[in-house]
Amino acid sequence: MKTTRLRHYLSAGTLAMLACAVLPPAVAEDGKAILNAKCMACHTPEGNDALSRISHQRKTPEGWLMSIARMQLMYGVKISDEDRRSVVKYLADRQGLAPSETDGMRYAMERRLNTVEKFDEPLNQMCARCHSGARVALQRRPLQEWERLVEFHLGRWPSLEYQMMSRDRDWLGLARNEVAPQLAKDYPLESQAWSDWQKSKPGADALPGQWSFSGHMMTRGDVRGVMSVTHDSGDTFNIEVKGQYADGTPFNGSGSAIVYNGYEWRGNLKIGDVRMHQVFAALNGEMKGRMFETEHDERGLDFSAARQDSPRLLAVQPAFIRAGNEAELTLVGSGLSGTPDLGAGVEVVKVLESTPQLLRVKVKAAADAAPGLRNVALGALKGVDLAVYTEVAEVKVVPAYSVARIGENGGTTPKVQGRFEAEAWGKGADGQPYRIGYLPAKWTVEPFNEQARDDEDVKFAGTMQRDGVFLPAGAGPNPQRRMMANNVGNLKVIAQLEEGGLQGEGQLIVTVQRWNSPPLP
Amino acid sequence: MKLQFIGRMAATSLGLFAICTAAGVGLAFAASDVPANASGPALKPGKEYLLATNYPNNLHLIDVASDTLYKTCQMPDAFGPGAAQVAPDKKVAYVLNNHYGDIYGIELDTCKTVFHARLAFKPGEQAKSMLSLAVSPDGKELYSVANPTQILNDHYAVQAPRLQVYATDAGLNAQPLRTFEVPRQISIMQAADDGSLYMAGRDIYKLDVKTGQYSVALPTGSWKRPLYSPPDLLYIWSHQTARRDFSLLYTAAKYKDEKQDADTADFVYGYVSVDLTTGKTQVQDFAPVTEVYFTGMRSPKDPNQMFGVLNRLAKYDIKQQKLIKAANLAHSYYCISFDKAGSKLYLTGTFNDVAVYDPDSLELVANIKLPGGDMATGTAQVFTR
Ligand code: HEC
Ligand code: HEC
Repeated sequence: MKTTRLRHYLSAGTLAMLACAVLPPAVAEDGKAILNAKCMACHTPEGNDALSRISHQRKTPEGWLMSIARMQLMYGVKISDEDRRSVVKYLADRQGLAPSETDGMRYAMERRLNTVEKFDEPLNQMCARCHSGARVALQRRPLQEWERLVEFHLGRWPSLEYQMMSRDRDWLGLARNEVAPQLAKDYPLESQAWSDWQKSKPGADALPGQWSFSGHMMTRGDVRGVMSVTHDSGDTFNIEVKGQYADGTPFNGSGSAIVYNGYEWRGNLKIGDVRMHQVFAALNGEMKGRMFETEHDERGLDFSAARQDSPRLLAVQPAFIRAGNEAELTLVGSGLSGTPDLGAGVEVVKVLESTPQLLRVKVKAAADAAPGLRNVALGALKGVDLAVYTEVAEVKVVPAYSVARIGENGGTTPKVQGRFEAEAWGKGADGQPYRIGYLPAKWTVEPFNEQARDDEDVKFAGTMQRDGVFLPAGAGPNPQRRMMANNVGNLKVIAQLEEGGLQGEGQLIVTVQRWNSPPLP
Repeated sequence: MKLQFIGRMAATSLGLFAICTAAGVGLAFAASDVPANASGPALKPGKEYLLATNYPNNLHLIDVASDTLYKTCQMPDAFGPGAAQVAPDKKVAYVLNNHYGDIYGIELDTCKTVFHARLAFKPGEQAKSMLSLAVSPDGKELYSVANPTQILNDHYAVQAPRLQVYATDAGLNAQPLRTFEVPRQISIMQAADDGSLYMAGRDIYKLDVKTGQYSVALPTGSWKRPLYSPPDLLYIWSHQTARRDFSLLYTAAKYKDEKQDADTADFVYGYVSVDLTTGKTQVQDFAPVTEVYFTGMRSPKDPNQMFGVLNRLAKYDIKQQKLIKAANLAHSYYCISFDKAGSKLYLTGTFNDVAVYDPDSLELVANIKLPGGDMATGTAQVFTR
């Protein structure tokens, strides 16, 4: 199994195209009419309302958006943003993926661009070296459609078969005879999951209500609150968020959202004056995914939410306590009541606040409480853990490997920052490592290797702030650097825990801007 | 040792071949100060020139004796890659251009376009050549491998590559005289004195231009060198040298033992070469890999010396496999060439200046600014009219 670091393919750029997704698209019949009007010039009608190529693929809303945007770019297809929204909605609803077909691949839609992908060969080198493997794995097609995708690639980019990881093999032969058949087998057009989903997918009425949410914003801390969803029209919704960070800073805003294919929730909202985008799977009274800044997708939070009629324990914030200490913990979820059971050695001293969405308690961990994880239980609700620790055994920098990008400096491409947290790990009574959580740390960068030292990367590539945010330097050749190089760098990111001083290390590549930002990396 | 390209390469150089896309290239260029249609002075017989191309559509001739720009011709249509081969009589340069899709013959004395072939010649097809261009030793025929794709209403169909043979006197709407199906992944090529065509692909092939029959002259794709990994060859610079030497650099892992552990392996630079006068082939390591060279060339004066360039200019003793000397450069240069005597070394590519070095001292002796923009990945050719 080979791993590939996703961030390399990707840019920070804006998500202008995705942002379009929330205005209400026209009704379904219009989607079909527009599809016929705009696409039939090249895509042949095949009976049963089918069009060649288009009717033989299933993919995510982002996948459809990308194909159509490509038609505009490569073949000059003229289509207004509004019509395009209608076509994306029409196709994503009828030719989407079942929820289980997106398992393990949602990071691409969620723009978790520091994800390290794991694809087996030959897929890894054949298909996941220019863009994410998830772009491939989030599609379903019959053999002929996978074959045509191969022909398109080489026809469009004749240099492909000369590049590294192509020129050492019969790229086209392999792609035609091995990769396409394998893709057809692994990612077929027809599947049980898809036919089941089409029968059972919920309607728009499954979504309005009060959603209690919990999240963690990197370098900023835990967030919690309530998102109110009201129905607008068709599959679109109005949303209002009322919440706060653990330190009390408000996290409030409003916006709108659209649902594709019964569960693919895409929201656009403003929190304070920052525009944010939501990519969630909304299923069975729960939403899960990521919410990130529209202009800076590296700034985001893991998000989970439960609707008021769907009792669930989402999180305990913070999810750790040191043995011998007293602390205030907040349980977030829906349908919460009573006093939580926090496991052996952790005692609830007092319930400070209790609402169905939030339970604030003062707790004490016994000095001799055994280090390790405890399952938190609140009546019948379970599913979150509390870590008790006496000592931090290891510090991991999260993300362990990441890519930041230089930008601005007269150019239009924004910088892509690095955002780091120090993740503490303990050693349980059983000798096994367990995750404690993010602890405060001091942040520094050093040259990653000799070359980085020689090239003075630390001096040129940017600045590490005290809060674990790395600000890359400006774009463009730097006359002060050897060979007039850009302000790129290869850095070691070092976290030193404020308490105890234990250190952890990660790697940060500071590289050049990405010029395009496709909807799927 | 492992090569680490992450980030760094992106900063110092273009991703090789990333620029060879059908969509064309978006490099910035300055307007040329040479008026269109200017023919400039004719070349002088017996004089040595260096030919280089750059954006937006310039073909420059530099006088080697004085290291000054002698004249600039304008080429038709869009630029890219501007890879040139000079005819044996040194009167015409053939240039692959217009986004890898067309070949133009430019008469150097007059700057006139005297030959034009569009590689795509079947209805509905697109055809690109990945730097495959060569002239026969008698100057009568021109060879190029085209990679055609049929573009249909709603899909593409990639076709087998074709060697296309043209008569050099076919004029401005040249159609191939003969075509032969050839292996995929063919890049640069050269015609030998006996008329056979050597084409670099996964192997180096030798092809009979009359029949299209080919054989493997150098099995670079599957060489049998004990304890060596297969070589990686990416060499898109088809130098025409006075020594009639067709060489390509490779890198390969040299393993410690049968376990073939890449972590303990040494990485070596070497070259494969075909002597175009005799057909003799050679595979030779010349250095441990410590940095990247886009091009390398042996000195005409002392063929035991190999010069390599990208971020530095380096000189190696081939037999000893040792670095003799290296020089830092003002910026990256992609392409190296020598004058005939081997007394001057020219660095081109990347921006729009030609750096001239003394091959003995590796001192910079001149820098020639060219009108126009980037030279990108074109190959400079030195020839005597
Ligand atoms: C001007 C001709 C033209 C029009 C109009 C056109 N297409 Fe295409 N389309 C193509 C061609 C050519 C291909 C095959 C090559 C490729 O994939 O780019 C293609 C391929 C596709 C594919 C397959 C891409 C893949 O990933 O394999 C999809 C999906 C598609 N088109 C959707 C559309 C939609 C939706 C419309 C209308 C909004 C449309 N096209 C309009 C020419 C067109
Ligand atoms: C040389 C780099 C490269 C390789 C290798 C490559 N791709 Fe792509 N692929 C691209 C580019 C470029 C696009 C165009 C879209 C963009 O990113 O703007 C693309 C687009 C796609 C799309 C989206 C098409 C659409 O219309 O939405 C899919 C799906 C895809 N590739 C799958 C594959 C598969 C499967 C393979 C392996 C057989 C593969 N790619 C190999 C560069 C590559």
